[in-house]
Amino acid sequence: MTLLAVDDLVVRYGAIEALRGVSLHVDEGEIVGLIGANGAGKSTTMNSILGVVRPVRGTITYRGEPLLGKPPEAIIRKGIAPTMEGRRIFPSLTVEENLRLGAAIRSDRQQIQADIDRWCAFFPILGQRLQQPAGNLSGGQQQMLAVARALMSNPKLLLMDEPSLGLAPLLVAEVFRLITQLRDLGVTILLVEQNVRMTLEIADRAYLLNTGRVEFSGTPAEILQHADIEQAYLGGGKSSRPASAPMGAPLT
Amino acid sequence: MNPISELIQYLVSSLSLGGLYALMALGLVIVYGILRLVNFAYGELVMVAGYGLLLFGESPLPFIIVAILSVIAAIIAGVAMERVAFRPVRNSNAMTMLITSFAVSTLLQSIALLAISPRPRAPNLPSIFVESLTLGSLQVKIVDLIGIVAGVLALVSLTVFLRRTVIGLALRAAADDFTMTRLLGVPANRVISAAFAISGMMAGIVAIFWIGRTGQTYPTVGLQPVLIAFIASVLGGMESLKGAVLGGYVLGFLTIGLQTWLPQGVNNYRDAVMFGIVILVLLIQPQGLIRPSYSREVR
Amino acid sequence: MSAVATRREAPRRSLVNTLSTPVILIVGLVIIALISQWRADVVFDRVVTVLFINLLLAVGLQIFMGNSGLGSFGQYAFVTIGAYSSIWFSLTPAQKRMALPDMPKTWWLYEQHQPFLIALLIAVAIGGLFGALIGVPLVRLRGASFTIATFALLIVVNRVALQWAELTRGARTVLGIPKYTDLNVALIGAAIVIVIAFAFKESTIGLKLRASREDEDAAASIGINAAWGRWVAWTLSAAISALGGALWAHFIQQFSPHNFYLRETFLIVAMLVIGGAGSVSGAAIGAVLVALGQEELRQVENWINVERTANSVVGNLIPFEVRGFADIVLAIAIILVLVWRPSGITQGREITINTFRRLLPGGRRIPQGEADPVLGKTS
Repeated sequence: MTLLAVDDLVVRYGAIEALRGVSLHVDEGEIVGLIGANGAGKSTTMNSILGVVRPVRGTITYRGEPLLGKPPEAIIRKGIAPTMEGRRIFPSLTVEENLRLGAAIRSDRQQIQADIDRWCAFFPILGQRLQQPAGNLSGGQQQMLAVARALMSNPKLLLMDEPSLGLAPLLVAEVFRLITQLRDLGVTILLVEQNVRMTLEIADRAYLLNTGRVEFSGTPAEILQHADIEQAYLGGGKSSRPASAPMGAPLT
Repeated sequence: MNPISELIQYLVSSLSLGGLYALMALGLVIVYGILRLVNFAYGELVMVAGYGLLLFGESPLPFIIVAILSVIAAIIAGVAMERVAFRPVRNSNAMTMLITSFAVSTLLQSIALLAISPRPRAPNLPSIFVESLTLGSLQVKIVDLIGIVAGVLALVSLTVFLRRTVIGLALRAAADDFTMTRLLGVPANRVISAAFAISGMMAGIVAIFWIGRTGQTYPTVGLQPVLIAFIASVLGGMESLKGAVLGGYVLGFLTIGLQTWLPQGVNNYRDAVMFGIVILVLLIQPQGLIRPSYSREVR
Repeated sequence: MSAVATRREAPRRSLVNTLSTPVILIVGLVIIALISQWRADVVFDRVVTVLFINLLLAVGLQIFMGNSGLGSFGQYAFVTIGAYSSIWFSLTPAQKRMALPDMPKTWWLYEQHQPFLIALLIAVAIGGLFGALIGVPLVRLRGASFTIATFALLIVVNRVALQWAELTRGARTVLGIPKYTDLNVALIGAAIVIVIAFAFKESTIGLKLRASREDEDAAASIGINAAWGRWVAWTLSAAISALGGALWAHFIQQFSPHNFYLRETFLIVAMLVIGGAGSVSGAAIGAVLVALGQEELRQVENWINVERTANSVVGNLIPFEVRGFADIVLAIAIILVLVWRPSGITQGREITINTFRRLLPGGRRIPQGEADPVLGKTS
């Protein structure tokens, strides 16, 4: 069953067209990758789904219900939870308070406490540092907190923006392993990543964005067969630089 | 007077004034933390409560009811102010919001001037505001003691609210990262309204003790409190609630100290020196006197 | 975003078109002055003179706010300095005995007596120098911190002026200043400041400063030092504010530090915001609109109060004495402008020959830029 469908999305920042008709869909139980170079429009797509950016054209539906024009808080209440680029934990709140706030849309007090215990068992380091300011956690720990906080709302769909960014290689592998574990727990995941290789290893399907358009989509195997991908994104071939990274594209 | 009672007197006066200043600063900072709005019109919430004391004080109601009604009036004014003036410009730059608040401040003062009177009016206050307790050589104003208790009570209940309730947590989280707070499903409008309601409540409590001290209310009665709130919150760091409280108490102790021990001629320059310090703190240590224990990511 | 800003300013930037703006504005002021002369009404003459001085202050503030994008509530600190320092030099010792009775007769300053023009220049120099010094650390601040610091500066100067009786007569009103400023002097002052504001805006420093307003990091990456540009604009703006204070002092003839505080600051900021801080035309148009609007409202106010005293039908409808009505309207106007047209009436554009061309039939309107699609604060 299709959980999320994005159709013909166009976003402009002033005179710059960040998305030029992006369409994609996410089915229940999938891990869908959204890959591409810096400025390809990955984060803009995600921010549009979340209602943080207002597209000029296109539709976004979640379980057949239109999301466009709704404020972020209304979209989250439908069962979508994001982990944002740069983690965006609340540094002055304690770890526990971060988690509690993750459950802001729920009112079942006892179940919330049970879920905090559950995710602390899942991420033991969070359990150990429950009463410390979240700003004191290391980068990897903050990423775990960001994921756990998102999961506290019991989402059907998890949108993850660059969860591996700025993490040590060892931690990156751990984050990707975590994502597959979450899928096994029944969470559907739309994964925005620059780390193309790792994403294609765990994704069921993926979309390759380039300068605001879907350049290619399909299963990881199909994408890997796509002519340019090896050269442009995986560092193989002659040039190690992403050839298609556009200059002056907006950083969102 | 012996040194010990002098010291006790100093402590009592300073704690009382410091608590008052802390509440003033909190009301300013709670809004700034979330909207990055320096609300010049905060002083006019004090004025609203002041005229509330005047208006409700005419009735035969007991003073405690009059005081509560006045605080409620300030809360309503705060929430209404946000709804009418600040919400439409919420996504504009800092300058636009600042100027809006400046305009709201002028508007409310002018309305008070037009509809009530430019002249100071004295609300009916209970005699408790002027009575003193005498213990040997020690003379302590009762209102100072009540002020200390009220200040601590207000601070404690605010702390509990900010730590124990979802909306309180959301308020603190929004000060760190407002967009992310919304992305957890917390309605932006509710958080902001709550911030303005708390701001109004602080202004209301401040008004009771501030006007209790001077005995008068007038259209510009809120100016001095808002200036004090500026100093205290800059001292404590505009973004930190703890800092605001600390800044308020530091300023309270400093004010009474200067008043007690400095010659009058120098004291005339007190405000100038205070605001000179404000500029210096902004320049040298913009995060205020206490730094957060963690490092903040620059976004 | 900066790419958008430049694109918007790009169309039809011919030299004639650019130079036409100050000419149009000054011609506008001359017309207002001529109307005043033709009406030969003392009250109106007074209104127009004050209008020109306020316009000078608004344009002076525009030099800083319009180009740097930072808000300043501190201009009246320099107006205060300009007003007092000009009278130290323009008054004769005999006049000082009246006006500044607390100034010791042994002081060097006490003996000074200069022609009005020299006194003006000295006031500008003192105000500019003070601005330049305080500006060195100040321009490092950004956003709300900067505005609070300028606000603090206003209060510091105000409190010092209230206390330093030797120089200012303290809180009491300084009396008996000769009237050197009239309508024509104010007109010349305003015209000069308009030209300066233009010269600055179109200068390399001004251009670079505006480029850095949108994105300081991007500007720094192409070698633009925003702090230097801000400092120059700030100092210029301070000197002009001091000039405004000096002119006003010799027009109004009596004043105290209470005349240079929040209400006055609000008035100038309102003029700039309503007209549009992004352009010199905005500052000028805002000043004219606000000043004339306020004057009209004040007359309505007076009329109502007279009717009330006369116990006429109209008068009995109004239950209280009308006072400060003009301020209420001004405050509401500024809020409405900020909500509906945040860049002011002029939307940050200048009036040029093209503006008039476009008003003619068949004229082409330049399309407006796209609205910003970003909804939330993405800090």
